Amino acid sequence: MLRMFLVQTKMNFVWYFRRDGEMIFWTLAMPVFFLVLFSFAFSTGPNSGSSRFLVPGIIGAQVLSSGFWGVGVMLATFREKHLLRRVYITPMPPAVFFASLVAYRVALLVAQATILVTVGALVFHVRIVGNPLEIVAILLLGTATFVSLGTIIGALARTTESANNIASVLTVPLAFLSDAYVPIDRFPHAVSSALRLLPSTQFIDTFRDVSVYGQSLAHYGAWIALLLLWTVAGTVISARTFRWV
Amino acid sequence: MTEAIVVERLVKRFGELTAVAALSFAVQRGTIFGLLGRNGAGKTTTLECCIGLCKPTSGAVRVLELDPTRPRELMRLRPRIGVQLQATSLPEKANVREVLELYGAYYAIAPRAEEMAARVGLDDKLDRQIAQMSGGEQQRLALALALQHDPEVLFLDEPTAGMDAFGRRILWNEVERLRDAGKTIVLTTHYIEEAERLCDRICMIQRGAIVADGTPADLVARYGGDASVTIAADGFTPNADLHRLGTWTATGAQWKLATQGEPGLALAAVVTGANTAGAKITSLDMHRPTLEDAFIAITGETIEETS
Repeated sequence: MLRMFLVQTKMNFVWYFRRDGEMIFWTLAMPVFFLVLFSFAFSTGPNSGSSRFLVPGIIGAQVLSSGFWGVGVMLATFREKHLLRRVYITPMPPAVFFASLVAYRVALLVAQATILVTVGALVFHVRIVGNPLEIVAILLLGTATFVSLGTIIGALARTTESANNIASVLTVPLAFLSDAYVPIDRFPHAVSSALRLLPSTQFIDTFRDVSVYGQSLAHYGAWIALLLLWTVAGTVISARTFRWV
Repeated sequence: MTEAIVVERLVKRFGELTAVAALSFAVQRGTIFGLLGRNGAGKTTTLECCIGLCKPTSGAVRVLELDPTRPRELMRLRPRIGVQLQATSLPEKANVREVLELYGAYYAIAPRAEEMAARVGLDDKLDRQIAQMSGGEQQRLALALALQHDPEVLFLDEPTAGMDAFGRRILWNEVERLRDAGKTIVLTTHYIEEAERLCDRICMIQRGAIVADGTPADLVARYGGDASVTIAADGFTPNADLHRLGTWTATGAQWKLATQGEPGLALAAVVTGANTAGAKITSLDMHRPTLEDAFIAITGETIEETS
């Protein structure tokens, strides 16, 4: 079982990342490009704090797209290309196959976060001040939330194309409405309050407050509970609707 | 129990369409069983019902005494069967060695990528990526994936479709070698030659139902019709001896003998008769009934769709 998981995870990495130049660019270079671009675009002067806002925001946005694209759209693609059917008739348990797809994306997230934090520290003097265990905990919870919600896309979309469309319609607006790139405080109070109902906002705000503003995770009990609820809902819906063949 | 597979009154409907209509058959262990029919006759659906890829609307399927519609039994069945699907796409950027290694891990067997690649003639392409392989090469890799864990029962869905002569020879040799090793093989095909050469038993399928089954020789004997000898020779008419061989009919200058005997012997007798009578032979033809004749007689259509 462990060997299946390890070999599958390694192959996922080799086939879908290392041999795919476009993928390397989108996952490693683009986030850094966004960090630099938006840091200067939003900066009102040195130490304006825009980079400090952006580093956790962009990492959070990557967690979102890992779930929606990396897992959801990927599963729809696997199904459309008859890959899931082929795997289904082997003794590989579907859960292990799924776990190795998630493991591969988590490994990528670690790389993405490391690069963003390093660039943030060296270029923009952003310091990660929070409790490392709490930072890891909220990152894992966010990943679980968006993987489970992303899997719904993989379950419901009939084709790769429709999965792509659903993921685009969700990811792009969410990135801008969830405190990832732009502070939602700039919207009218009613709007920003509504936006805090989104799991993406709950996750990104909690992650930011804990990582760069040094808040304790203990103060975010309500949001953690809500994220857990989203995760459970996503998992239940995915498990009920997902078709391997 | 000597039956590896038992299918009883299998029905599969997709909405309005009935793909498989009350189909029953059994496959003895250690034999090669062929489902022969046109595209769309229900061969693939039947096969997929045997491996858990397709849930029957009604009827029963047992493979190695396990029911593939029950998740627990399917789990126990999977390691014991090997499958080559018609439409398998492997990840484009994967290479031959990696795919064999990964499937080896699925079945928890010791790595044997080199050995398997050699068996299907891909030993010089171990590092070739899927996207750079021809359709026939991908089919051969799919065969290697089906065989690698040494399964008891092998399901091959149109295994030689899109293969060149080299690929077909490799596949046929492998199938014969596996039969000699006592494996059970189910294959679907719309190539008459393939069915005739490989199968111990053939089920002919038309519109989701079995229309005939038996050994290839049996099917030809029962449905293939008479053998025939056709001769055109100046001044030739069959004499009394030749009339005893079968039924003669004349079309213009051409005489045709329909015979249930050995057509080779009939041919020799006809030639001798013509020579004795001093008739100069202008054309001569012998036809022995084939499985294709049997298929046409049974289904009323050729196996390849004619446009």
